[in-house]
Amino acid sequence: MSNCPECDAQVEKHGKVLGEVFPCPDCGTELEVFGTAPFAIQPAPKEAEDWGE
Amino acid sequence: MSRGLKFGLFYTIIRPEEKWILQAAESRGLEVVRLDDGEVTFGLDRPDVEADVVLNRSVSHTRSLYATRCFAHYGIPTVNAPDVVEVAGDKVLASLRLAERGIPTPRTVIALSPEAAMKAVERIGYPAVLKPAIGSWGRLMAKVSTPAEAEQIIEHKSALASPVHSVFYVQEFVEKPDRDLRVFVVGPEAVAAMYRHSADWRTNAARGATTETLVLTPELRELALHAAEAMGGGVLAVDLMESPKGLVVHEVNPTPEFKALAGVTGADIAGAIVDYTVGVARR
Repeated sequence: MSNCPECDAQVEKHGKVLGEVFPCPDCGTELEVFGTAPFAIQPAPKEAEDWGE
Repeated sequence: MSRGLKFGLFYTIIRPEEKWILQAAESRGLEVVRLDDGEVTFGLDRPDVEADVVLNRSVSHTRSLYATRCFAHYGIPTVNAPDVVEVAGDKVLASLRLAERGIPTPRTVIALSPEAAMKAVERIGYPAVLKPAIGSWGRLMAKVSTPAEAEQIIEHKSALASPVHSVFYVQEFVEKPDRDLRVFVVGPEAVAAMYRHSADWRTNAARGATTETLVLTPELRELALHAAEAMGGGVLAVDLMESPKGLVVHEVNPTPEFKALAGVTGADIAGAIVDYTVGVARR
């Protein structure tokens, strides 16, 4: 369990892996897992100009 | 046997696609080496990176370009290969390659200054589409229908800080149904395909396009494989449009997403990518 850095909602680890990006279930902010033991989250990196497929 | 092979995954973020790739690699007994593109360093000698092969899933074209060159320098093969990343990841280079190989593609004119960009738009005619040479997901693309609109877009692009926006890639606006086609190619196979529907002229899944399974015709399969081969082959998503003159290839994506495609077709795309990457390691 960790807390969203934007809205402080509790976020469960479930099956999330290191580096995984997911939306906060409460506020929708894109979050990134930066630690799994202990579970830690931070805002996901912002999309850069050269990002794409 | 691939068991024990060191399978490098070079990534920016872990999306469902990367998660499926990790699961597919682990289920095959591969030793996964995770390489975060924001953390890895590359020396000129043999680095700390120990991998038999690296699958590039970085979403950054710039990082992909340099990293695949560095891995190649160390003798580590990558999927895709550096040349494929360089050409397919740059719309200018990709269009030149498609034209050189005689693959039907929308009429395109490239210009390197705002003044020349207006000439390029006039050569294409209206409506025309201006796209950034680098990047995707439909960002910063503009459809211009009049000279006044073209002048405004060119002025705005010129004001952007990145020099990449001073390369003007101008393309004809293709009158097509409210859909385009995506064929996912892995090595010599077209493994899945879909239509992407959108009321917007941009049909990127990232912009909310809806998807539908597409049954590959021999013509479509051959054209998609030809386009992928023109880029140098590997794991590539070939995007096509149904123009009044027939199918045209408008993009070949070197680090393709496949969440929507896997969802609509049920194809095990992650498994196909991992198996292909293991095959590259063995060459």
